[in-house]
Amino acid sequence: MKRFGILRRRAVGFLFVTVGILALTSYSSLVAQKAPATEKDVLQIVERCYQCHGEAQSGGLDLRTRAGMLNGGNSGPAIVPGHADQSLLIKRVSGEVTPRMPLGPGNPLTADEVAVLKDWIDHGAAGFSGAAAPTTSDLRGSGPQPAVVIPGYRERVINDKDRQWWAFRPPVRNAAPKVADARWTRNPIDAFIKSGLESKGLEPAPQADKRTLIRRLYLDLTGLLPPPEAVEAFVNDASPNAYEKLVDKLLASPNYGERWGRFWLDVVRYADSSGFEYDRNITDAWRYRDYVIKAFNEDKPFDKFIVEQIAGDELDSPTNDSLTATTYYRVGPRIRFREKQNPSNRYDYMDDMIRTTFQGFMGLSVNCARCHDHKFDPITRMDYYRSMAMFWGYVDYDTPLAPKADVERSEQIKVEVDRETAPLRAEIARIEQPYRDRDNKVRVEAALAKYPEDIRVAVRTPSEKRTPGQKLLVAQLQLNIDDPDVIIPVPVVPADDPNGTRRRRAMVKIDAADDAKRQALFRKIVQIEKKLPPPLPKANAVRDGDFWLAPDDLGDEQRAGNGRFSYDKTCCFVPKPGEHYEVPELRFAANGADFEADKKNVEVKPGFLTVLLNGKLPPASHVPNRPDYPTSGRRRALGEWIATAENPLTSRVIVNRIWGWHFGTGIVSTPNSFGKMGTAPTNPELLDWLATEMVRQGWSVKAMQRLILNSETYKMASSFYRDTNTEKDPKNVYLWKFPLHRVEGEIVRDIMLSASGQLNPQFGGKPFFPSIPASVRDAQPRGEWQLTKEEPATWRRGVYAYVQRGLRYPMFEVFDQPDLNVSCEARNVSTVPTQALTLLNNSFMLMQSKFLAERVWKEAGPDANEQIKRLYRITLSREPTRVELSLNEAFIQKQRLYALSRGNPSQDAAALAALMDLAQVLLDSNEFIYIG
Amino acid sequence: MNELNPSSKSKKPRFVSRRDFWMEAGMGIGGLALVDLLSRDQLLAAESGTACMGSSGPGGAESPYAPKAPHFKAKANAVISLFMCGGLSHIDTFQYKPALIKYNRTPLEGHGDIIVRQGNPGPLMMSPFKFKQYGQSGAWVSEIFPHLSTIVDDLAFIHSAKGTSNDHTLSHLEWNTGSILVGQPSVGSWITYGLGTVNQNLPSYVVLYDGRGGPYGGPQNWASGYLPAAYQGTVFRSTGDPVLDLMPSSEYTSLERERARLDQLAKINEEHAERYPGASELSARIASYELAYRMQGCAPEAVDLASESDETKQLYGLNEPATEAFGKQCLLARRLVERGVRFIQLISGAYVNTNVTAWDAHDSIDSNHRQHAKEVDKPITGLITDLKRRGLLDSTLVEFHSEFGRMPISQRGVGRDHNPGAMTIFMAGGGVPGGLNIGTSDDVGLNAEEQPVPVHDAHATVLHMLGLDHKRLTYYFNGRNMRLTDVAGELVPQITGTPKKA
Repeated sequence: MKRFGILRRRAVGFLFVTVGILALTSYSSLVAQKAPATEKDVLQIVERCYQCHGEAQSGGLDLRTRAGMLNGGNSGPAIVPGHADQSLLIKRVSGEVTPRMPLGPGNPLTADEVAVLKDWIDHGAAGFSGAAAPTTSDLRGSGPQPAVVIPGYRERVINDKDRQWWAFRPPVRNAAPKVADARWTRNPIDAFIKSGLESKGLEPAPQADKRTLIRRLYLDLTGLLPPPEAVEAFVNDASPNAYEKLVDKLLASPNYGERWGRFWLDVVRYADSSGFEYDRNITDAWRYRDYVIKAFNEDKPFDKFIVEQIAGDELDSPTNDSLTATTYYRVGPRIRFREKQNPSNRYDYMDDMIRTTFQGFMGLSVNCARCHDHKFDPITRMDYYRSMAMFWGYVDYDTPLAPKADVERSEQIKVEVDRETAPLRAEIARIEQPYRDRDNKVRVEAALAKYPEDIRVAVRTPSEKRTPGQKLLVAQLQLNIDDPDVIIPVPVVPADDPNGTRRRRAMVKIDAADDAKRQALFRKIVQIEKKLPPPLPKANAVRDGDFWLAPDDLGDEQRAGNGRFSYDKTCCFVPKPGEHYEVPELRFAANGADFEADKKNVEVKPGFLTVLLNGKLPPASHVPNRPDYPTSGRRRALGEWIATAENPLTSRVIVNRIWGWHFGTGIVSTPNSFGKMGTAPTNPELLDWLATEMVRQGWSVKAMQRLILNSETYKMASSFYRDTNTEKDPKNVYLWKFPLHRVEGEIVRDIMLSASGQLNPQFGGKPFFPSIPASVRDAQPRGEWQLTKEEPATWRRGVYAYVQRGLRYPMFEVFDQPDLNVSCEARNVSTVPTQALTLLNNSFMLMQSKFLAERVWKEAGPDANEQIKRLYRITLSREPTRVELSLNEAFIQKQRLYALSRGNPSQDAAALAALMDLAQVLLDSNEFIYIG
Repeated sequence: MNELNPSSKSKKPRFVSRRDFWMEAGMGIGGLALVDLLSRDQLLAAESGTACMGSSGPGGAESPYAPKAPHFKAKANAVISLFMCGGLSHIDTFQYKPALIKYNRTPLEGHGDIIVRQGNPGPLMMSPFKFKQYGQSGAWVSEIFPHLSTIVDDLAFIHSAKGTSNDHTLSHLEWNTGSILVGQPSVGSWITYGLGTVNQNLPSYVVLYDGRGGPYGGPQNWASGYLPAAYQGTVFRSTGDPVLDLMPSSEYTSLERERARLDQLAKINEEHAERYPGASELSARIASYELAYRMQGCAPEAVDLASESDETKQLYGLNEPATEAFGKQCLLARRLVERGVRFIQLISGAYVNTNVTAWDAHDSIDSNHRQHAKEVDKPITGLITDLKRRGLLDSTLVEFHSEFGRMPISQRGVGRDHNPGAMTIFMAGGGVPGGLNIGTSDDVGLNAEEQPVPVHDAHATVLHMLGLDHKRLTYYFNGRNMRLTDVAGELVPQITGTPKKA
């Protein structure tokens, strides 16, 4: 900033010197306007040219520096300092020379803007030196983030126009519009919607009938069917607040979180495994899933929910819940193999966090600015790295979820056990050593016999006489322990591996006496280890540390030649209580591919998205008031900044999601994208009203839902039709009826179980593995997935099913379960024949149809008429029509006769088979899996 | 209901009935007859076995598989990807490197730090296989591909293909999805998204993986990523029904009962749809059941080799144990292409025990590559020959690739480690000119040298042959128009016939 100030003063001085020789008209026009143009003024105009004449140097022209302007492009110099009239830049932007710049319709510079450029050139075209300018200073002080200019990068300057984008302006709370119809005045939402319908000439649907409403509420809020008795009770409840009571009851149901938590899990790309080759289990991911379900059930204020996920460990008083919340960082796709050989992975994981956090909480694709300033939105590459710096300290860290005393006691016992067993292990090793040596020798000899002659010669050649090539060969042979054929043998079953999974065939036999000694020692160790406490529950959490120094994991073994990088620092992975902690330095544009190149870039300090700061600057760290927990506090600052009411995006983004989860489509139909590539809100006044209301109601999700659910808008019939409406708004964008929509794959399965009466209600806990054919498992060589049977243990709700990135449960997958490697803003709803095949033939389906038939038989007795009615009440929450009754009676009769014609079943068995056929027809029906 | 839809009885028919739907979808009475409970056998007899042969399928414009026009005139309309899992050594198969003979067992120098996957870098190693030149084009082929060497003039080799990672899984993902990171749609997903399918009776994108097991990364290789799930690859199973849940388990029900259920379901769904005039998703779902029913007939027909002649079976090597498994896959691929399937991937090699079951020749180039080349050489040659004589090769792009090449230096003297810096891929058919040898790697085959072809270029080229511009084949996702080729991709001009980029 300072630099610009000096420029301005100089320019002013220059003006007074030259003013005397200017013609009177020029003098007056200059004075009448304002002070002469500064570099900053000019930059705000010229940067519009940078998309082509920046890095891209279209036509050979680079307008980022004065030198670039003087050198010009294919058509010659762009500027002649002191002579605007001779400058090609001016001729182009004024249209004097074609093509007029900037290219594209509706984009010419205004006369004022051209005047600024002229003024600046006439005054010598100062600035734009391209020299190193203020880099990101420590931003903990006050003052805006200056645009950065460094060699090779000139940060796009964010201007007022950028800040005028609707989603960057604070939400405005307009009063609900006046509408005439009393039905639409009780709830502000209705007034906004009705007013929109009126202006478009759309007729709203009448209220849906009570059976439709209760089914809608159950499916929407709990993802389960309403019990037939609940439907009857509601239909017969004549009290004026029967509906409101039902809404409250369902919002209070634990099943509510099981459905609504799942929506959030889509946003945060939740899975139980890490994907890639090893597709490793994230052991305690499910605790995070339960945390999310619980947060929805308890109506955790959404601002708190945000901060806990981003920085639950950095709070002043963290709780088990807030620590578990940070598993948010751990459930993304991670390679988790040979990480230390591939430092670029860390930057990809950062990208995952930036992507998920900004899309998920703020609807911004900050990730698009990874390699260059954002092409469409005012988000710079430096903003991207500033954001990365906010996350840069975090490391994966499993945190015990137990009182400190228990943790300490447990650690102490482990230390004791180790101390007692260490000498025994040493003794075992001593006994085994000669055998290992001999075994190794035998093994190498055996291996060598398999090699061609020239290799054997190389090995047998004395080392000083070996050629360079032979040296390499020999080095290789001795070092290859990856190879199961030339392995350092483990000729015994180690005590810590009683099942012998690591055991490999030994080439030499251990002497019986030695073996006896050894076994006795093993038994002692086993005895001592019985003292070990059961493992404490833990969260797959995060905390601040130095990720370069993470403990070795799969494939990270230090071994010559395996490409593992070494780092300068050796201490410490995580700081100890009371230690001073600094986040490792982060360099601009670093990507881990080339350490030396990365180091040449400037260091990046944490910061926030420039476009939202507008001169103000929130703190870049909020260190918790806990001396025993050294941490940077950056993530907390980030979380709090995202969750503040002043952030114009956060409240809009979440109310839009809630709206979309209820109605199938958000007011902004691209919930992860509120930037220029997203869609505009269909009802911006309503969106803003809801956003401000959410903050006013203490960020309560349920309060917003209560408002929505109790609105006339929500209660409209879906089976409403008007020619005129369809012509004007065929896609029901303005909500003239409730949108009919299909439930998600998990819910398809849940309501099957709900109908059959077989739903295992077990709430939370470790995931279950739904039953899949072995042939599906065969496609994925790795991962945790276990083959199970169809049985009550696997008939839990879909939200508890194990989510393996590399092996999807076919029934969910076919019903559009999202990829879950990146944030999912809204699920696709496709209709494909493989869905039909699943519902027709999957064993789960057939089994549940049978259970449903048995349930109906039990509840309705043997009369077909009664059975059909019961079946409709259970599956569709309504009575069958006369037509349906007769259609289905005929069907049952036909199927019964068919069954009797096959084999020799009893009358009852044939009738049950027929009923099962009808049960499956209803489970397959459109009405069953659509929210109407 | 009438109060809600007063117009449902008015002059304008809005209710899309099943009958209307079939009529609209061009199925006419034939489709209705099908729906009205003709038995499956009758269906096949009535349509003389052609019902499954890629006739235009119903599904309506709502279907994600509805055929879509390409961006420009296509040369190919189907792709068969032959993926060699484990890493095919280019310098032991299609790249003859005399320098390796000259400098055998001496250190590799002047190429910077060599990073290998396992152990220490060894000295250079010559190929254990003999090379000869073949055909008009004079392509070099080693002795382990004796059949393929006879058709080199039908093939366009790219000897300068390259990837970015020496990790099996990441490179699998790169070749199959364009990115080493998970979450991107696979090539087959992009293509079915871009073109739809002409045969709705079969899946549009079929994967047949090695009978020994799945590849590195498993189903992530044929995932649809952020594209709708409808575009993911469908695995055809090697035993039993080719498609998961194709048939009901006899434990619970029978096909006859299922057929009756389908008809009842249609009636119930029609009753329901009548309450929702114009709700196209409901009629699409009604249609999807009819399609499923057709698939039950067509999928088993597609994999039934009974009608193939002995001569054809022998051409693919079905009569020899070593070539039977992959030969069957190749023959299935041809049958699927005939039936209008858009994208088929055959995978040779499994992750189970990769030194043995995949092309991952760390242990020994000689034994590993001899075995795997034998498994695929005759079947692939048979496939290309068969496609050609049936007139299908012109419109079918066959692509042969692997996740990376292998190192010119040895691993433990006899094996080779991973090398993403250079590899050979080839394309044939689908308008690709034969007899081409494009690009080279350096003298030892460590890095692509002349005209390097990164993965995005290969993908752009494949899309181009299908009439798709890789820059225009986009899908809006999370604020961005995503592409298979991200922000890169250049056509290989010798293949596409487009002007060479300056």
